[in-house]
Amino acid sequence: MSGPSHELDVSAFERGVSAECESGVPLGAYASSDAVHYLFLGARGAFALERPHADGRAATAFSATFPLFSWDEREMRDEWNVRFADLPDPRPLRGQDGRMPDALLATGGGLMHMVVGPVHAGIIEPGRFTFSSGGETVVHLDAQLSYSHRGVERHLCGTDALEAAAGVARICGSCSASRSLAYAQALEQLAGIELDPGVELARLVVVELERVYNHLADLAASAAGAGWGPGFARGMALKERAMRACRLGGGHRLLFDAIVPGGVGPSTLREPSELRATLRVLASSAEHYFAALFGNPSVVARWERAGVVSRKMARAFGAVGPASRASGGKIDVRAFAPYGAYRRIRVDAATAASGDAFARCCVKRDELRGSFRAIDEALAQLGDARPSAPKMPRLGPGAAIGVVEGPRGAETVAVHVDDRGRLSRLHVISASYRNWPIVAAAMDGNIVPDFPLVNKSFNLCYACADR
Amino acid sequence: MTQSSFRGSLGIRHLVCGSCNGCEHEMNALNNAYYDITRDGWDIVASPRHADVITVTGPMTVAMRAAAEQTVDAVPLPRVVVAIGDCAAGVGPWAGAPEAGEGAGVELEAAIFVHGCPPTPDAIRSGLEEAGTILSRGDVARAVKDQKRER
Ligand code: SF4
Repeated sequence: MSGPSHELDVSAFERGVSAECESGVPLGAYASSDAVHYLFLGARGAFALERPHADGRAATAFSATFPLFSWDEREMRDEWNVRFADLPDPRPLRGQDGRMPDALLATGGGLMHMVVGPVHAGIIEPGRFTFSSGGETVVHLDAQLSYSHRGVERHLCGTDALEAAAGVARICGSCSASRSLAYAQALEQLAGIELDPGVELARLVVVELERVYNHLADLAASAAGAGWGPGFARGMALKERAMRACRLGGGHRLLFDAIVPGGVGPSTLREPSELRATLRVLASSAEHYFAALFGNPSVVARWERAGVVSRKMARAFGAVGPASRASGGKIDVRAFAPYGAYRRIRVDAATAASGDAFARCCVKRDELRGSFRAIDEALAQLGDARPSAPKMPRLGPGAAIGVVEGPRGAETVAVHVDDRGRLSRLHVISASYRNWPIVAAAMDGNIVPDFPLVNKSFNLCYACADR
Repeated sequence: MTQSSFRGSLGIRHLVCGSCNGCEHEMNALNNAYYDITRDGWDIVASPRHADVITVTGPMTVAMRAAAEQTVDAVPLPRVVVAIGDCAAGVGPWAGAPEAGEGAGVELEAAIFVHGCPPTPDAIRSGLEEAGTILSRGDVARAVKDQKRER
């Protein structure tokens, strides 16, 4: 991170942000008490373009031109009092005092409205979805989240940055390991330390295990969305095996605390050879599953042309991860800006072009194969060596950004640390936060009963989007 | 009169109140082929009207509170609230966070607290068995009171 000392005059700042949005890789934006920070990904990692916001001048709302910043800028206004001259969506991003702002409706002859949530029928996180439809065809869907907003960023501020790692791991259960890694990366940049190659390999194993259990669950849910019960049951059984492998490899079924600042947790990779053998069997079971799933014409027919996201739309909304790569996007942080062991174990970005639920399932299948390969390679390189114990010096003041490719795309964590090693600002931009607006947009022209199918082909989290 | 039938046929409604989704992964595991609670005649149901037991997770959030209370109220009596996870017991990582409450289980008067972050599927299953026992004995109110006293 360039740090707030890297002052730009306002028009140079605006030109810079626009140019990076046009041709670079935007990650998101946030405010701290005195500046606004727009984050982008370069080949050597994340960087920020910044300007002060407390100087009385209204800030430019980039979301007027680049809708991808819509949530970020509303949040900056609501929570950090950033004054924008021209914010397109005047509604608060989150519910205020327990009341959700009115949903955006499409109105006109014959259109009807249906509200679903925040409590849903299954074991799912809360959100309110308001459909405007003509008969069965959806004209507009407004997705309003924030029911899981706990105020995690403010809660962790003021605590010791190293001790806050356990909280960071519990912001969201489904992408815990990836976020822990992004957070650790940021603190390690601040400390200026390099890690042992063995520790980096162990971390690769942990975050790829996270991708494995998530993608298996997503494919299972997509089978369910297509109405194929046996495909769901088989997929969820594979996910259970993957979660047991997580416990074996990371000491926890959801990999909480398997990655810590300066290294890995004490239970990470205690039985590397048993893990390797287990995963080889799981990888071969997964292949049988793929053959059944992708060989089932009625499932594939339901996936095809459902929830289409065009390349243009994906870019405008700043989609990340499989949501972007299934629409022709090329960015996978592991390949574009390799970090840790990905500098030695290369992972190719899996892509597809059709932008529908089928394309997203194909990308996840291909990534599962890549994950099994990468883990096997990392475990081969590690052999029987146990990763060394975490080492972390006392932190000095400064700011840094960590970014890693999680199961749903770029997981970004920005940290500001004060001169006593405590967090003064923490900001989490999750892949789900980036991708939610596109789920809503992908429903246009689809029928209401296809919402579960379209939604599950993204399978985003709420907890890390709401924070 | 109907009491003894509860244990064998629990209808379970799950309610998420600001959880990180970790507890939901383990609740979902109850339905997979390894834990398969339908073998016991238990079912995770879609409507609170069909439920005997409400499992709740998360610290409770300002935004969820009203919807959560309405959902519990929609469950016919007798009903048991089971708190799943440390957050729901008010001792998780978000205790004291600005938009978090006292724990979903605390606020919604749980009779049973299953600890863990998240609890294992087997621990959740034990909690549900206990819920069946309490329903069969017909002493939900006493169980809730005992829990409050322990806190
Ligand atoms: S108890 Fe742990 S797993 Fe459950 S919601 Fe809280 S942080 Fe997540």
